[in-house]
Amino acid sequence: MKLFSRLFHDLDAMTKTNERVERLGLYFEQADPNDSIWACWFLAGNRIKGSVKTSELRAFASDRTGLPDWIVSESHERVGDLAETLSLLVEAKVSGTSLSLSQLVEAFIKPMVFMDREERRNCIYRAWDVLGPEDFLPFHKLLTGAFRMGVSKGNLCKALALFGKLEPAFVAQRLTGNWTPETASLDKILNPKRTEESLCLPFPFFLACPIQDTAPDELGSVEDWQVEWKWDGIRAQLIKSGGNVMLWSRGEESVGESFPEIIRAANSIPSDVCLDGEILAWGKNGLRPFSRLQKRLGRKDPGPTIMKREPVRFQAYDLLRLKGKDLREQPLRKRRAKLVETLDKLPNEFPIGLSSVLAEKSWEELAALHRQSRDRGVEGFMLKRRDSTYQSGRVKGGWFKWKVDPLHADMVMVSAQLGHGKRSNLYSDYSLAVWNDRGELVVVAKAYSGLTDKELKEVDRFVRANITGRFGPVRGVRPELVFEVAFEGVRFSGRHKSGVALRFPRIKRRRLDKKPSEADTLETVRNLAGNETSRAEDGTRIDEDGNLLLF
Amino acid sequence: MIISGKPTAVLTNTTKGLYCPAGDFYLDPRGSVKRALVTHAHSDHARPGHDIYLCSDPCLPLLRLRLGGKAKMESLPFGERRRIGDACVSFHPAGHILGSAQIKVEVSGKSYVVSGDYKPDKDGTCEEFELVKCHGFVSECTFGLPVYRWKKEEEVFTQINHWWASNAEEGRPSIVFAYSLGKAQRVLSGLDTSNGPILMHPAAHSFLEPYRKAGISLPEAAKVDQAKTGEYAQAIIVAPPAVEESGWTRAFKGCRKSLASGWMTIRGQRRRQNLDRGFVLSDHADWNGLVGVISATEADEVLLTHGNGDALARYLCEKGIRAKVLEKPSGPQEEKEP
Repeated sequence: MKLFSRLFHDLDAMTKTNERVERLGLYFEQADPNDSIWACWFLAGNRIKGSVKTSELRAFASDRTGLPDWIVSESHERVGDLAETLSLLVEAKVSGTSLSLSQLVEAFIKPMVFMDREERRNCIYRAWDVLGPEDFLPFHKLLTGAFRMGVSKGNLCKALALFGKLEPAFVAQRLTGNWTPETASLDKILNPKRTEESLCLPFPFFLACPIQDTAPDELGSVEDWQVEWKWDGIRAQLIKSGGNVMLWSRGEESVGESFPEIIRAANSIPSDVCLDGEILAWGKNGLRPFSRLQKRLGRKDPGPTIMKREPVRFQAYDLLRLKGKDLREQPLRKRRAKLVETLDKLPNEFPIGLSSVLAEKSWEELAALHRQSRDRGVEGFMLKRRDSTYQSGRVKGGWFKWKVDPLHADMVMVSAQLGHGKRSNLYSDYSLAVWNDRGELVVVAKAYSGLTDKELKEVDRFVRANITGRFGPVRGVRPELVFEVAFEGVRFSGRHKSGVALRFPRIKRRRLDKKPSEADTLETVRNLAGNETSRAEDGTRIDEDGNLLLF
Repeated sequence: MIISGKPTAVLTNTTKGLYCPAGDFYLDPRGSVKRALVTHAHSDHARPGHDIYLCSDPCLPLLRLRLGGKAKMESLPFGERRRIGDACVSFHPAGHILGSAQIKVEVSGKSYVVSGDYKPDKDGTCEEFELVKCHGFVSECTFGLPVYRWKKEEEVFTQINHWWASNAEEGRPSIVFAYSLGKAQRVLSGLDTSNGPILMHPAAHSFLEPYRKAGISLPEAAKVDQAKTGEYAQAIIVAPPAVEESGWTRAFKGCRKSLASGWMTIRGQRRRQNLDRGFVLSDHADWNGLVGVISATEADEVLLTHGNGDALARYLCEKGIRAKVLEKPSGPQEEKEP
């Protein structure tokens, strides 16, 4: 644990990516491989589920320190991170431990899953007895999760690749999928020979960059580009290898159980392929809005009724493996030709389809078509350079997303909450409201991002000086500040008093020129909803590219 | 009630600050008043514009430096009582910075103490905190949550010196941001001169002389008005936080930056400010310090000011101590910025 704790605090103190990668490499050299594999698993963002609840941790800390539970909660709210709060409240009894990371996991964390509350309490107490002050924060982070420490998966792969003298992309593929330190080992991950089971794993996804970063004339001739609709669904890879069919989301979760019709349909396509594409809600008349797809998310082994009511389709747009051969180094035009060949002659209403390529011959024609995106229910275009290889992660130059412009509305901040992490102790999470027809402000969005550090500080100062009420962690704020909020769509929602929920709301800028009375009305916002009138259910986490992050 | 709006009270809570009608004086007042009793020389306590000031003897030179030569000032030795009108006042060490005092006000046999800022922990650069038993205690509560617990200053100095040494090894200057008055001198007192040269921003350097005159021994530190390129690889530089993003700081090429403050307890605070390190070193009482001192005063009534007092007040009440937050007399509710 000593090595791991030191790694943790060093990474925490570092501000530069290269330093972090180097520091991780050093850890892999020093640490026991059994510890390294756990470190990798935790750094990849995993946690042992069901070991201990956060409410229990707060209660145990309260018991142990003799502090009332409300002050533990209040402290948590101030600090913004439970693991850190516990580390600040509970005092270590010894200076350090001889336990290794894997021993700590095996002896303390894993067994807790099967314990009752009382046993868990004793277990945590024992851990607090034997761990040193430097071990507390990493230990608590292991329990509460969210363990990224500024190390992205890509950088974890880089560090491992450096250590194992392999290609990062190769390591990345080994780190994808549902592996655990029990099923994997550092040796396996760093084994330079490709194994049978790795054929069932997804390749690291190639991600597009926003077109805004690149001027259109830098793109050159339209002929160099393959242009497709940008689908409003969930990015996934469909893999068929031997007798196995796997469907992987971009969050690298296996999601086949939720979409059995896609898995079944894969029987009709050739074996030993890996398709890259999008899972979409798809009815008799084609594409349906994303909100329809949400009804299928997170639902394993769906029944026949819901499958009939909410049909889905895997729309393929790239071919990464064919007959067991890795095609990623081939140019897109060749991969596309093979993809068309492979998915030839599929029936019309089949759950697997081929994403079409747009035939427009000039940027002007494309721009005209682009304006129809919102009406067609797509998010705009994908531009893919025809001679590009399939790379790993967000690499500029190969793929661009040309998204429809977001919707905008001016809203009034009515309450605020302290942020987390870098924004802890700063009122940075705002509830934003518009006017209803009775002249009341109703909340339609909660937004976090979009302001500069300086603006954040100013707004924080305003909030602190203009508190009108306290509701747990939420502070009611005098409705005075107006913000322009950008969002991707409007859905009707029974959960919100306003009756609508915005998709991906983020603060565009402060409207210093506008008074609260000049903010938009609920009716204006509702009208922006267009024809997307289905009721949506929230609860799933999707990033701004529409990729499912967590099932 | 020791504090109310009624003229018969010992202390009243006014928009200009705490006021004692029996002696017709204010404590750490805002605005402009006839007689100001000042706990210490920090600018949020010692403000310009009053007719006459009264402070502790060791506070006087610092107050002079802060407010200029023209202001009318008197001082008292620690512990000496002085009658003002129908009140008796005395100054008692608060352990916050050099010359910082708690002010005891006695009226008709009852004693009330206004703490100013205080710190019961060890600090070689100022007088040791003195516990003053009283009937009523007005306490600061800057760090009024149990997450704030200070380590011994020796441990923090060791951290700073290690950090400095490892930066010097890489050939990078080390900057510690610390308030010009008090914190900067305390940091200086803990630096290991064998690591390399010590430099100081003029704002912090100006207070070295009164500190040395008061008998506080401090290592040599060179005043730097404007850094010259490439001469500071082994150096540590102590400067006020206000210059963090200025050209003065940027002139120290390749430097690593840190801040010495109690707020550095919370990682988010350090990360937000883009600092390489945060050293938890405070001139205020931590949670245990606040609870310990407040209990030990045996005061019948405790009023909390300068911070988020709600949690501390509730905690003390649950322990049977009559405590409440001293609200500002007017204006909307306010939360102190971190």
